[in-house]
Amino acid sequence: MVVAPTRAEALSLFRSLLRTARQFSDYNIREYTRRRAADAFRENRALGDVAAVAAAFADGKKLLEVAKRQVVVYSLYAPKAKSIMEMKLQ
Amino acid sequence: MALSRRLLLLPLLLRRGSTPSVSPARALSTAAVTADAPAAAAEEEAMTIKGVRISGRPLYMDMQATTPVDPRVLDAMLPFYLSRYGNPHSRTHLYGWESDAAVEEARARVASLVGADPREIFFTSGATECNNIAVKGVMRFYRDRRRHVVTTQTEHKCVLDSCRYLQQEGFEVTYLPVRPDGLVDVAQLADAIRPDTGLVSVMAVNNEIGVVQPLEEIGRICREKGVPFHTDAAQALGKIPIDVNQMGIGLMSLSAHKIYGPKGVGALYLRRRPRIRVEPQMSGGGQERGIRSGTVPTPLVVGFGAACEIAAKEMDYDHRRASVLQQRLLDGIRGQVDDVVINGSMEHRYPGNLNLSFAYVEGESLLMGLKEVAVSSGSACTSASLEPSYVLRALGVEEDMAHTSIRFGIGRFTTEEEVDRAIELTVHQVKKLRDMSPLYEMAKAGIDLKSIQWAQH
Repeated sequence: MVVAPTRAEALSLFRSLLRTARQFSDYNIREYTRRRAADAFRENRALGDVAAVAAAFADGKKLLEVAKRQVVVYSLYAPKAKSIMEMKLQ
Repeated sequence: MALSRRLLLLPLLLRRGSTPSVSPARALSTAAVTADAPAAAAEEEAMTIKGVRISGRPLYMDMQATTPVDPRVLDAMLPFYLSRYGNPHSRTHLYGWESDAAVEEARARVASLVGADPREIFFTSGATECNNIAVKGVMRFYRDRRRHVVTTQTEHKCVLDSCRYLQQEGFEVTYLPVRPDGLVDVAQLADAIRPDTGLVSVMAVNNEIGVVQPLEEIGRICREKGVPFHTDAAQALGKIPIDVNQMGIGLMSLSAHKIYGPKGVGALYLRRRPRIRVEPQMSGGGQERGIRSGTVPTPLVVGFGAACEIAAKEMDYDHRRASVLQQRLLDGIRGQVDDVVINGSMEHRYPGNLNLSFAYVEGESLLMGLKEVAVSSGSACTSASLEPSYVLRALGVEEDMAHTSIRFGIGRFTTEEEVDRAIELTVHQVKKLRDMSPLYEMAKAGIDLKSIQWAQH
């Protein structure tokens, strides 16, 4: 029995993904995670099929777990020098 | 959070305190720093590496050399570095069984990305090893009847060097020229195939200029003539759709670290029907059905499998983004600097690659000036030499233009802001060098540089 997530559940997942994305110490990974999550939710907004919505939701939840774990791993080995993209132009 | 970070820094501070302090004079001497710089020095904050002072980590645009590991890939790999360390070839306990299951799952993922059967995928150490097995292995196996190889002048070094090696063993090799746009002439390729041709090797996407060869047509010709078709798809996997059956591919070299996977693992695709056989390069325990002996590195293979699975899902999205960013980069540079030439076809090109030549600029000075952008003039394998790229020379690019080429790589994690910064820094550097260049001044004054009789030394 497949049940589509409620609107509130989907929004909550989206917010969790964005919040986790912000915690990545790496500039590129942080930007990618945020952008990919936003694009995926925008693309999937038009999904009508219950099974497809449920599959996308399950996928997102799995990725949230991956992101949460990797935020920790990245923070453990973050290089001391920042990316020049995080610095102001001279 | 702040507290824990401070605690993490503590051992480092202690270590730094205990080492003999560097005298100010020595700190300024770049030579001394390069001479005894330990690996850990690369981690120090405002870095001086190889005599270059860098304020931060440069933005990375050398995606053809290697790509960063995707966090989703690392997440799949880590369990196999921790508790699941079994040898996949151990048949007597759980550790072996779980590793074996993971390896086979990864094999299926790699196979599915290229439309192959998992039994046709053999894990190796990378695309270089695959190319060696493919080129030397096929020719050695069929050496009695097949004495000739057809390849192109723009292949990767490891294919060309394998061919050179075969020539020393008495085989004949035809190195096909390419058109000025970097594509191989298919009619010329068909003419070059002889009754004793044992292999046609043409790479899918060029590592330096990113042009996509007409694989389907080449595959059709090879099938008609009954010659195995090998393609080095290290730069193509996960970036353009590949189907081994549709493209008539007999052997294919794949690499993990070009698709956000780990370094040190690749795979050889070897067709089963009609069966193509190779002579193994290594003797040993007979792993990978005797094609490549040596313990299969479970964590790396699992990472490769994960990278392939992600690539299959993300190919369209990544491709769209790369196209947009490539256009942005090209427009940005061309809008501010004139006499910029694109090397290789724009039409038949993987959009994550933009190889540009800047006229009247000295290439090494440009690259050294662009220390905040990690780019290269071409292949990482040959970027240490001052020779112009043999790929660009094969395209008929003049030596001075081949010297000033820069390869910009755009990948999954490249941002708009990075592209904009790369444009800004490149334009600034090119303008600065051209302001100093008498050649540029003369060219602007309408003098044909080729007509100048330079004094003989």
